[in-house]
Amino acid sequence: MRGLPTVLITVSPEASAQMGPPRAIYPIGFQIGHVLGGPGQVALQRQVLRDALERLVTPGEPGTIEERSYPQYVPPAGPS
Amino acid sequence: MSTMSRRCIPYTPNRRPLAETTIALVTTAGVHARSQPAFNPEGEKEFRIIPGDVPTTELMISHPYYDHADADRDINCVFPVDRLRELAAEGLIGGVNDFHIGFMGTSPRLREVYEETAPAIADRVERSKTDAVVLTAG
Repeated sequence: MRGLPTVLITVSPEASAQMGPPRAIYPIGFQIGHVLGGPGQVALQRQVLRDALERLVTPGEPGTIEERSYPQYVPPAGPS
Repeated sequence: MSTMSRRCIPYTPNRRPLAETTIALVTTAGVHARSQPAFNPEGEKEFRIIPGDVPTTELMISHPYYDHADADRDINCVFPVDRLRELAAEGLIGGVNDFHIGFMGTSPRLREVYEETAPAIADRVERSKTDAVVLTAG
């Protein structure tokens, strides 16, 4: 059988949805360039990756982008 | 060549437990090895095959269309290869593929990317030992 299961981690869910990814998660509020979290946020990066991998083995509706909340994520300060 | 309708969701079922699953990373975040050519900021159709055992200090990003200053300091912000290796060492996943794929996602030639580059990436990855793929963008 051809084909490999994939899971997408996206920080641009509206754009990603246009392509219909079979499995995807959206870490809510993560900025572009911080797909798995900020620099050095090892525990957070690990958790996001584990949650994405979990999608590979959890039945779900194909094409849905599942939101995940990570309160420990601190986005960089914007321009004041 | 034929391509799928964009409304078609190419879902591949998976029954393999994570502990037996080898994972590859495919990213459009502009990641490549320092020894490999930078991506063309005018648009790119070629991807880079990133060796699976490359030290993260040997990785870099060439992508002019998003702020990757933090990912330059810690590539795992967009390309979680260290985290993947840790999960493999702990036995939570079966292993890490012997290569990953880096690509720069922004291109004015989307048709070329959709009809040529993406199928070429899929073909290359499918012929590897990997069982599943984690996709990231910038």
